[in-house]
Parts: sequence; structure tokens; C-alpha cells
Amino acid sequence: MKSRFALTSVILLLTLSVSCNRTRKYPLQGEVVAKNAATSEITVNHGDIPGFMAAMAMPYRVKDPAVIQELEPGDKIAAEVVVGKDPSDYWLEDVRITDESGRGKVKPPTAPQMLMPGERVPDFTLVNQDGRKIRLSDFAGKALLVTFIYTRCPMPKFCPRLSSQFARIHNELKKNPEDYGKTHLLTISFDPKYDTPAVLRKYGLAYLDGDEGGFSQWDFASTNPTDLRRLAKAFGLEYEEEQNQITHSMSIVLIAPNGTVAKFWSTNWTWTELLENLQHAAQAIGQRGK
Amino acid sequence: MVRGLLLLASLWAAFILLACQKKQAASAQPSNAEIEGEWLYDNNCGECHENPQPDLHKQPPSLHGLFRRGSLPSGAPATAAQIRTTIIEGRGTMPAFDQRLREEDIDNLLTYLRTLN
Repeated sequence: MKSRFALTSVILLLTLSVSCNRTRKYPLQGEVVAKNAATSEITVNHGDIPGFMAAMAMPYRVKDPAVIQELEPGDKIAAEVVVGKDPSDYWLEDVRITDESGRGKVKPPTAPQMLMPGERVPDFTLVNQDGRKIRLSDFAGKALLVTFIYTRCPMPKFCPRLSSQFARIHNELKKNPEDYGKTHLLTISFDPKYDTPAVLRKYGLAYLDGDEGGFSQWDFASTNPTDLRRLAKAFGLEYEEEQNQITHSMSIVLIAPNGTVAKFWSTNWTWTELLENLQHAAQAIGQRGK
Repeated sequence: MVRGLLLLASLWAAFILLACQKKQAASAQPSNAEIEGEWLYDNNCGECHENPQPDLHKQPPSLHGLFRRGSLPSGAPATAAQIRTTIIEGRGTMPAFDQRLREEDIDNLLTYLRTLN
């Protein structure tokens, strides 16, 4: 009787410890573009990983250092992405080289640079306040005004001001249905750990005075930290997190309907100036069509 | 009789004077919680709630006299629990101070808010 009780307890404890330490696994297929033995990381250019990450090149930790030794840039691999209890803790296991014929032929990815006016904006995928994937290219054919915030920003001259001034622009655009259809606003959070779609939705509704229909004109979105860094670099935004406070600059970017950068602003701007530029870029759409 | 009344009046005046001095002495020495709370208020709340913010979508309301009035600007009852929730979660365009202020910081802020009239 006693031994049965002990056995049941052991099984129960094991079950509990397994459920407490549960991890999730996702299959990954891609190409090694860089490796760093010092940090046990490889950068993999991979396809979509449903349920975890969109297709992109990003670094992954490899638990077994012996595996890193065997891998070389250019290798095609298959592996399991293991995501721990904390979703920001993930690594690769069961890494297998599926094709090493491209070994040594890949160039390491170059650091992205800030775009210049007239340059084409690379396509980025974000997740908006409804949890829906949106791409910058979804707004091709419209004049797109983009800015960056984090919802917990307590500095009234920074993020609250940016969102407040975007709200004024949105209210002005609403008065003119023609402008409304040719323009779009996009506010991107650089605090994806805290600013989930639900948090962004609540934040956006406060600036839309509770009008959910406004989201069709003004998206609040974010993405993974790696893509955010690339996006920030491209748009000249600096940010650094320190103890739940983020030190950051301001960046407002007007993207023309043809997908190129029309203009940048940082500190010196007014909402009327932004509105005029946005409307001007939108008016060009009609003129080109004539 | 008149002399007696004068004496009584003098004694009463002396008593009042003494009481006022005592009260002044008490208010001149705020508690540690109030000192901490005032510091946190000035550095986290005051910039919006004490100064007009014409650039913002909604004007942050004054927080003076919250407990005296018994209700928050939202109309909710001015209880410590309600104010704590508002500070942590934010409200409307007010940012959340989640993970930025510790429990004891909010306790000290509440102590200071009670003195704001």
C-alpha cells in the first residue's frame, strides 16, 4: 500500500515537473548565413515557421557547441526551434545539414543603413492591433505616414505627443473622403514585449475616441525584435531599453504611393506640416492617373 | 469681573496660538512616505498633471483633492485600489506604469496624493 502511494507520488511529481517545464517545438528549414562560435549562435535565413516566426534571417542559439563547429555559412539545414516557457528564450536542437553544396558561397548579411529620400522602402511584415499580419507593401498606392512609439512612454513631448498629433491628422483626413482613401497612418511600437496586439488596440482606441472603424485608416502594429531593429535602422530611429524605460529618438517617415521614402522628420515638425505633406503625396496619385 | 474676562480671553488666545504653532510644526515635517511620494509624483505624474499640455489629445486632469472629492476624474470612486489600478494599467491616453513603479512606490504616491488639496 505504502509503495503504491510512493509510486503515485513520484508519477504525480514527474507529471507536474514536465508540465511546468513544457516547451514547444517548431520545424525549421533554411540556410546558414553566418555563425558565431563565441556566442553559440548561427544566423539562419529561413522560410515561414507557422505559429512562431515569419520568413526572415535571424540569429538562433545552438545548445550543442559541437554542432556549431560542423556548420558553415551556405549550409542548408533542417532543425527544431525549441521555445521555452518564456517565449523570448528559444534555441535550435536536432540540427541536420541537408545540403552542403553551397558552403562558402554565401555573403554575410550587411548591416542595414538608414534610407535616403527617394530610396525604395524594403517590405516589412508587422502584426497589427487585431493580431493580423500587415505588410508595408499592403499600402502601396497610398501615401503612408509612419511613426514609432511605445505605449508606456511617460514623456508627454515624445510618444503621447506623436500619437496625439497623429490623431489630429486622422480627424482632419476624415473630413475629406478623397484624402481618406488615398492615405494611411501607421504607428509602430518598439516595445513588442509589452505592446501586444491587445495593448495596442486599447491604446489606439484611446486616440480614436473609441471608434473602431478608425483602425481601417490607422494601424497600430509591432513585430519581432530583429525586424524592429532593421526597421528602426532603415527609418533612422534610435532606441535602447533600460529597466522598463526606453530611451528613444523620434522618427516620422512619409512613404510615397510608389513605395519610396518621400520625407523624414525627427524633432522639428508640426501636425499641419505632416498633414500637408501627406495630402500632397496623396494628390499626386490622382494627377498621375489623369 | 472685567479683569477676569480679560484673563480668560488672554488664556484662550494663548491656547489658540500654541495650537496653531503645533499644527504648523506638524505640517512642516512631512513623513518619509510623503517625501518619497512627492518625489515620485514630481518625476512621474507632475509633468502631465501639473502643466497644461496643449499638444496632447486629452488634457490630463488635476489630481488635487481627489480624496476630498471622493471621485476620480473618470467618475470612479477615489479609492486606493482604484488609483493603484489606474497607475498600473493606465487609462485612456494615460500610459501604464506597470513594471516601472514598485508596490511601495505606489503606496508612497497614494500617501502624497492624500495631502494634495
